[in-house]
Amino acid sequence: MSMTIAKPSVRVRSAANAGKRLRWNSIGSAIWPWQLLTLIVFGLLWEYVAANRIIDPLFIGTPSRILSFFFTELFVTGSLASDVLWTLAGTGIAFGLGSLAGIATGLLFVSFPATEKFCDPFFAALNALPRIALAPLFLLWFGLGIGSKIALGFSLTYFIVLSSTVAGARSVDRDFLTLARTLGASRTKIFLRITLVSAVPTLFSGLRLGLIYSLLGVIAGEIIAAQHGLGQQLSYLAGTFQIDGVFAVLLLLALLGSGLTYGMSALESRLIRWR
Amino acid sequence: MAASGLIAVEGLNHTFGGKVNALEDVSFTVAPGEFVSIVGPSGCGKTTALNIVAGLVPLEHGTVTIDGATPRAGRHDVAYMLARDCLFPWLTALENAELGNAFRDMPKEERRAKAIQLLDSVGLRDFKNAYSKELSHGMRQRVALARTFSMPSPCLLMDEPFGALDAQTKLQLESLLLELWSRERRSVIFITHDLNEAVLMSDRVIVMSARPGRIVADIPIPLERPRSVRSLQKDPRFHELYAQIWEKLEYGVFDTNMAEQ
Ligand SMILES: Nc1ncnc2c1ncn2[C@@H]1O[C@H](COP(=O)(O)OP(=O)(O)OP(=O)(O)O)[C@@H](O)[C@H]1O
Ligand SMILES: [Mg+2]
Repeated sequence: MSMTIAKPSVRVRSAANAGKRLRWNSIGSAIWPWQLLTLIVFGLLWEYVAANRIIDPLFIGTPSRILSFFFTELFVTGSLASDVLWTLAGTGIAFGLGSLAGIATGLLFVSFPATEKFCDPFFAALNALPRIALAPLFLLWFGLGIGSKIALGFSLTYFIVLSSTVAGARSVDRDFLTLARTLGASRTKIFLRITLVSAVPTLFSGLRLGLIYSLLGVIAGEIIAAQHGLGQQLSYLAGTFQIDGVFAVLLLLALLGSGLTYGMSALESRLIRWR
Repeated sequence: MAASGLIAVEGLNHTFGGKVNALEDVSFTVAPGEFVSIVGPSGCGKTTALNIVAGLVPLEHGTVTIDGATPRAGRHDVAYMLARDCLFPWLTALENAELGNAFRDMPKEERRAKAIQLLDSVGLRDFKNAYSKELSHGMRQRVALARTFSMPSPCLLMDEPFGALDAQTKLQLESLLLELWSRERRSVIFITHDLNEAVLMSDRVIVMSARPGRIVADIPIPLERPRSVRSLQKDPRFHELYAQIWEKLEYGVFDTNMAEQ
């Protein structure tokens, strides 16, 4: 007899989520040995193909030699280690400067929408430009050293972090703002305690991407022209047909990239526990 | 507290974008400490009227006063509660419960004590440090109740606060709200689609017609307090009042439908 107009239930979705999580957990505990096994089988197959010259190892290298190059150059002679440091330093500086500048510009755009409107066409054009095309210019301006690598990494990271800052701040729940207004929050408080905090998750996915793109920019810069760094090593080894070395550096880069992303995710889940 | 909280709405008209005529000549008053429900078909302008009183929607025609002053969002004498709990997911239940007073610059110890006391009375003593993802739907709305009642505002504006809850949780929260309200009576404007709820809670029920929203009836509910859901279900007066409101509501819908044809 009650005349209740039904509202859609919110429970359905959370129940479905719980189901999904449960299933993944039960697989998750058993999945890594299989992944490891797949990797080993793949390595052995590769070794076999190369050793029997089914494909010329000049092009694909040999896993055992790749691994031995990897360990000798990294830990015994240490010649790769200094390149790692050069690359990481470039990446770190490019990422730090790029994300700081990106966040600062993003916050400016969010607080004063007119500035965004004004800058939009210029930024859109710059962002659409393939950034690698700037490499020759950066080499001219900042020289063969780390400066031109940082500039390239910066030019990529800056726009990524900028757009994620703006998107994050825009993603703030309208109802939160309404509620805060009725609760009597000042504009500054709303900006600091709601808009900014709401932006953090989106911002973090931008930072994670930005970090990878910093690495990309630095490596690309080193490949084009440099005296140090993994990119420079890579182009030298490829140029002298040391294919095992090339694969060893690629392996190192994959590990570095994963390590950086992992570190970033760890920081993220630490900072946004409420998610 | 019962000395203040007089809400007076006089000749309210509101048109959205020059086209949608949402409210037409709406007038009512809420006496200090009075609990008034507004019912009416969906889209008839209930939320609009409430938001004008809250100062969220600018007043177009008519006058609205709260203890003689004009409405403005963020006025300390008004506390507003929505159908969505709107808990900030990055804050714990306790931090959410004290949020209103934090924004209003109440000293930390005072607002914390108030929030703890209210979380206790809504039955969330053990969930003070829980984030909203760890709370059920009903628990989240309890935190929202605690947040609303921890502010010392004499006027409460509630827009279908229990509209999204299941029937059982709704009954629990209704009696919780009645209990909190009866401790220190504040003026309440309570929007609902549930006529049972309206009769159970209110001193008066205002019935609005379909758009453009007009007041078609203002029905006093003379049932004595404290009220209990159970005993009211057996009370013939309860069902009479229910039928009376239902009839007015039906009339309001039917009337406008005829006019549109
Ligand atoms: N911001 C707005 N802009 C334009 N039209 C609006 C706006 N807000 C509400 N309306 C219109 O005004 C009318 C009244 O809306 P309102 O939200 O007040 O209804 P309601 O009675 O609260 O409905 P419900 O019971 O479904 O919540 C509706 O027809 C709606 O389309
Ligand atoms: Mg509404």
